[in-house]
Amino acid sequence: MVTDMSGQAVFGERVYGRKPALRRWLFLHKWSSLICTLFLLLICITGLPLVLREEINGLLDDALPYAQVPEDTPNVDLDRLVEASRKLYPGETIVSVFVDDDEPKIMVYMASSWEAFSANRKALHSIRFDAHTGDVLKQTKPFGEDGLTFLQLMLTLHRDLFMGLPGELFLGAMALLFCAAIVSGIAIYGPFMRKLDFGTVRAARSRRLKWLDLHNLLGVVTLGWALVVGATGVINELSTPLFALWQQTDVRAMLAPMRGKPVPQVSEIASTQAAYDTVKAAFPDMITTSIAFPGSPFGSPFHYVVWTKGKEPLTSRLFSPVLVDARSGALVSAVTMPWYLRALELSRPLHFGDYGGMPLKIIWVLLDLVTIVVLGSGLYLWLVRSRAAKTQPQSAVGLPLPGAAE
Amino acid sequence: MTGHRSLGLIWRWPVLLAALSVFGLLAALIGQTGIWLPLSWIALTIPLAVAAICIVRSRTS
Repeated sequence: MVTDMSGQAVFGERVYGRKPALRRWLFLHKWSSLICTLFLLLICITGLPLVLREEINGLLDDALPYAQVPEDTPNVDLDRLVEASRKLYPGETIVSVFVDDDEPKIMVYMASSWEAFSANRKALHSIRFDAHTGDVLKQTKPFGEDGLTFLQLMLTLHRDLFMGLPGELFLGAMALLFCAAIVSGIAIYGPFMRKLDFGTVRAARSRRLKWLDLHNLLGVVTLGWALVVGATGVINELSTPLFALWQQTDVRAMLAPMRGKPVPQVSEIASTQAAYDTVKAAFPDMITTSIAFPGSPFGSPFHYVVWTKGKEPLTSRLFSPVLVDARSGALVSAVTMPWYLRALELSRPLHFGDYGGMPLKIIWVLLDLVTIVVLGSGLYLWLVRSRAAKTQPQSAVGLPLPGAAE
Repeated sequence: MTGHRSLGLIWRWPVLLAALSVFGLLAALIGQTGIWLPLSWIALTIPLAVAAICIVRSRTS
């Protein structure tokens, strides 16, 4: 081996040169990685604080503290909070009420009108109440109106690059390319390692060789995690179209018998607390979490949609809506969620890493950092290879493919 | 760099580490209590530890 480059060229020739299938995998690995790497780096970097979002939120939260109350203090009446919210923002529409099962917190979400909320899902502001006293602890302005918080900025860069649905689909496609890069990386790893022991890092020979080995080692030890987080990332980016699909099929079919009937006015709507209690009594094995108000574009004009979840570790990730008649407050039906929304719900924890306590979050951060090294080293290897190919045309000609073994 | 390694030899470690990762990811999701959480942490830490050991070894040898 005269130089590292030509040595690599010989290696590439020997291992990959005569096998067309491998050359195709190399081609796929190179281009899928190149296209997605910069976006993936952005996603990995913004993902770091998002793993710890609960902790960061807790640190940055400027809400008033919860009142100290005896342990069995009941929650305040939801109707009282609904009324208080309407008084705070006269003329506005209540979109939903969220009752936390973790903290003594009840959130009321409002928008200036249903039309404004339908046009822009983010045109939403919230009031946080103390669940025991009904005191207002914090109010937020609609998304972006007051400048973005640090975590909102990270989440937007992570999820849609300020472009809404097109941005979500674009980053979803980048995540799909990332998965393709991992799969093609697996395909070329085997032939590459025929002459090397697992975990070999040839640190003494050259910087390029060292980083090539590190890229392979770090890539192969994290591939299980990276594939799961990549694939669940793709599914998460599809949440908007998946929910739209559900609304236009199942939800529309469910509401078909009501079509053409007069929509209940705000003054006709039954008690929120009663709707909540009705669902709680009918499904004692479930935790009732939130109530979408009648008229919501993500609900029904004729019903409260009360969301429930299970109490077991796994079922607490699965949400099921229950319809309550908006005028009479009577229970109408529990809705069965389609498989694709179940898959979406299960892909959330597997993507966020927030389901196994602090140690899991730390592991998530470490694996994220390793992925950044894999992405960065891949980019570096491509750069030195293409630079070398320019200055050493002969060795470039000798290569089966520029960027072989990367 | 001697001889060609068999598929089994090449893939022994990667397959084991990938299986541990997937086990770790699911253990915390499905179990979420008792022994399952620590098992998940351990399973997911092993791939990182293996990589660290390989890197340290390459520096000292």
